[in-house]
Amino acid sequence: MLKLLLASSAIALALTAPARADFWSDAGAKLQGVTIRGVSESTPPSNYVRDVLAPQFTAATGIKVEFETTSWDQMFDKAIKDMEAGSGIYDFVYIEQDIIYSYLARDFLVNISDALEADPSLQAPEFKIEEFTTFIDNFRGENGDIFGVPMEAFIKVYLYRKDLFEDPAHKEAFKAKYGYNLAPATTFAQWRDNAEYFANLDPNDELWGTTVQASSGHPASFYEFFESIAPTYGVYDWGIDMAKGAATVEKGGRMNSPEAKEALAFWVGLLDLAPPEATASTWDEVASTFAAGRAAQGWVYGENAAWVATNPEKSTVVGKVGVALPPMNEGVMAAAEAGEGYIGYYDGGAFGIPHSSKNKEAALLWLQYIGQPSVQADWAVAGSRVVHQATFDAPKVMEVDAKADGYFTMMKEQGHLFKGAPEFPFHAQVREVVAPFIYEAIVGTMTPEEALDKAAVAAEAEMAKLGYGGN
Amino acid sequence: MNRGILYSRLLTFLFWIAMSALTLLPVWWMFLVSVRTRADLFGKPSFLLDVQAMTWENYAAVLSNPTFQKYMTNSLIVATSNAVLVSVLALLAAYAMSRFALVGKDNLFFWVLTNRMAPPAVFLLPLFLMFTGLRLGDWSLFDTRIGLILLYCVFNLPFAFWLLQGIVDAIPKELDEAAYVDGASTFTVLTTVIFPLARPGLAVTGILTWVFAWNEYLFASTLTSVEARTITTGLAEFVTVTGTNWGQLAAVAMLTLAPAALVLALVQRHIVAGLTFGAVKG
Amino acid sequence: MRNTTTGWLLIAPTLFILFITGMVPFLYVLAVGFLDWNTFAANPEPRFAGVENFRALVFDAAFLKSLWLTFKFTVFVLASQLLVGFFLAKMLMRNVPLKGLFRTIHTLPLMIAPIAVGATWRLMTVPGLGPIPHWMQQWFDISYVLSRFPDQAFATVVIMDIWHWTPLVTLTLMAGLSNLPEEPLEQARIDGAGEWRIFWDITLPFLKPVLLTTIFIRLMDALRTVDEVWMLTGGGPGAETRFIGLHIWRVVFPKTDYGYGAAMSLITLYLTIVMCWLLYVAMTGMKEKSR
Repeated sequence: MLKLLLASSAIALALTAPARADFWSDAGAKLQGVTIRGVSESTPPSNYVRDVLAPQFTAATGIKVEFETTSWDQMFDKAIKDMEAGSGIYDFVYIEQDIIYSYLARDFLVNISDALEADPSLQAPEFKIEEFTTFIDNFRGENGDIFGVPMEAFIKVYLYRKDLFEDPAHKEAFKAKYGYNLAPATTFAQWRDNAEYFANLDPNDELWGTTVQASSGHPASFYEFFESIAPTYGVYDWGIDMAKGAATVEKGGRMNSPEAKEALAFWVGLLDLAPPEATASTWDEVASTFAAGRAAQGWVYGENAAWVATNPEKSTVVGKVGVALPPMNEGVMAAAEAGEGYIGYYDGGAFGIPHSSKNKEAALLWLQYIGQPSVQADWAVAGSRVVHQATFDAPKVMEVDAKADGYFTMMKEQGHLFKGAPEFPFHAQVREVVAPFIYEAIVGTMTPEEALDKAAVAAEAEMAKLGYGGN
Repeated sequence: MNRGILYSRLLTFLFWIAMSALTLLPVWWMFLVSVRTRADLFGKPSFLLDVQAMTWENYAAVLSNPTFQKYMTNSLIVATSNAVLVSVLALLAAYAMSRFALVGKDNLFFWVLTNRMAPPAVFLLPLFLMFTGLRLGDWSLFDTRIGLILLYCVFNLPFAFWLLQGIVDAIPKELDEAAYVDGASTFTVLTTVIFPLARPGLAVTGILTWVFAWNEYLFASTLTSVEARTITTGLAEFVTVTGTNWGQLAAVAMLTLAPAALVLALVQRHIVAGLTFGAVKG
Repeated sequence: MRNTTTGWLLIAPTLFILFITGMVPFLYVLAVGFLDWNTFAANPEPRFAGVENFRALVFDAAFLKSLWLTFKFTVFVLASQLLVGFFLAKMLMRNVPLKGLFRTIHTLPLMIAPIAVGATWRLMTVPGLGPIPHWMQQWFDISYVLSRFPDQAFATVVIMDIWHWTPLVTLTLMAGLSNLPEEPLEQARIDGAGEWRIFWDITLPFLKPVLLTTIFIRLMDALRTVDEVWMLTGGGPGAETRFIGLHIWRVVFPKTDYGYGAAMSLITLYLTIVMCWLLYVAMTGMKEKSR
């Protein structure tokens, strides 16, 4: 229903806005009948693109958009194969913030700044790079040129069940049992106490203490650990020092440092207090779990925060969602504020154009279309993503912000404390080598300590093998 | 004495009823999942079909989805074309081996065996590089149906050859001879003498190769992207999409196994021969 | 006699296609196995590496583990399928009404696409949705979570494979059993030999060729299992059901480690051939002894 409303109002807007339509229909005039094709992950922001923005664009320019939304692995698999083979199947691809470095190293993408400079007739008047948040810097090449137009950005936050935490009965019982007040956790011990309390309420209820994105065969678990948990223990950038090619403590890395081991032990230890689907959960399942009211708290990607908090068709916890900063060790916050560390993951992605695309002009128009200010607010409401500075102040967004316990405010004011993935060109390769050890820690065939020791050694070996061994 | 036999027969009969139920259980479950609404899915699993609550919405959603329509069409085209291609080529080859003293029969067998022994990934990389590397201008074999049709020959051709060999060998050479004496060309002999007599065997070969091509997953998923994607790949892709839609997954799985189930009765007798290089006749 | 040229012409297309799609890739892999080649490495170009890949493989824990898991799986699966298949073959050869129907139903799993077999069993085992977790909890108070417990995942994969492939064994053994010559059996019974002796000394030797074929086919196929396991467990939890076919696939593609993956394929192929050969020798050896 919401989708239909948004879609029809968006189309109406497109058809009744003459000034904009002039540029778009003019630019599209030369490209009538062209079809551009793209691939992305099937997430709320991308689904909005597929359902609303793509038809809008077609109405404005006459260029058709075939937008494929699929699973995360398939998306990367197909995009990379296409770009490697130069087969020109896709005219635009989703570039996640963590893979951009690999793509740049392989020179897969068209330089958008250059392309717009070369042909000013393609430059949309509304599209201004300065209006983007600093997130766009992730997609700059060495000389500062843009290689991708951001389409989504969000932080992975601490969601908790406000209704449960504020319930007097629970507050009393918790205080009686643990000796301090029930509140969103600021330390890890507190997180565990909270989780323990809610998990043990009633063995037959469908409520557990925490989500854990611990899929035992999918890198999602690797990501939650290294992107969200480890940093709050003070272990940044996967504990890898790229310049030294180091991951082990001996060589100067931190992957198997005591803090990292503590972090993994803590995180894996939560599995007992998490719902059974935890070991089969990627980010999607974690969001569904929380939305189904099966967890009292959890680390959830921001792209899901809005619908979990506001959409009654898909969430049973509407109006019951609290948002907070994740718990962290001492000193981590100070380091983050000083710019020397970070407290969590600032995720997001852009659309970029492969060199092999056969419809670069059309794709360029499309990228600018989704990058315009006018589409940002509705898109933020649907997919809780913000890439323009002005979006935070849009009335619609502020409305959702209120209902989502200030998620957007947090992103605006404390987003700078979060960071994206490290700038590794060997992102996927090292991940594939380290992830199996995380899985073993999850399954219990290795202790967390052992897992990290072995993982660090393996990571170093892989980096050396790929030619990034440092000195 | 009579009672003993009757008792034994009854027991065996009951045993087989139970076995059949066990065999069909997973498939039946999948059918149930495919006709239930999302709400009905979770909760206590039941093996009973609630005809009132039954819904075809999953099938409708899948069948009306243009992407899946494409996948199914591709599977149909690839399987059928490959089956025909392979049957024809194998018939010619079998005839050649049977009537002409050509060398290398054992070599072919050994190589076929190696084919079956190698982990499929062995071929994936070079095929991927070949498909994407060999280009005619803009066009390459990657993500094309014809690519798959040609590729599936690697496992279907030898298999068809072995099946048809026995059949062609069984056709008496005297019949060809007679035709040749009358002045017929090789082509005529093939079409008027061999083909009609080999027809039942050809039918079996065609059906089995069709099923094997339809069932294939790994090559299809590696060497296609969008245009030539088949239904097996579509099925696998489903698994990790947001909030796995189990009902639709089940519907797609049912559609994937439907053709095989349909032809089962037709080729059941021959499937064993098919899967064992013809070494064992069913 | 006709021109053998015609013969060659007839067989040429077949040979050509098989050469291009089979031989060439194989030779290619043979070459790549000696290269150090990862397209996401600092140097994405292939470089000659001699036997470096092979040497590394010997110490590669993940690879060795995968081999071991595959071997374990194959042994379990072969043994069970032979036993169950033999039993079912005897049961299906009895005089029972609707025999044809039962046989057809029993054969169904053989025809289903392996990826769909995986999907079917996945649906059976999803916590909260599938009947198996539900029953395990209700009747045995066991928490059945495939993504968490390696033993459960492994056992389920074995059971799935049994469901899938036993019909092949059943049918081949039926073919073998129905071709048993009556006389020696009759003779032995008249002579007063026990059922077990009869089975061991007479039935088994006659079944040898069929058994051999079946075991080979199943061995080769079990070692190459990918689709159904991928769909059911994804190789998980972790790598506990990551059989060698699956392992190689994941090394070559998401990890883009082409040289290493090729070397891995070659070693695996070599090991498979050795295993088949050993089996062959063992079984024909047995045949000699029983004479």
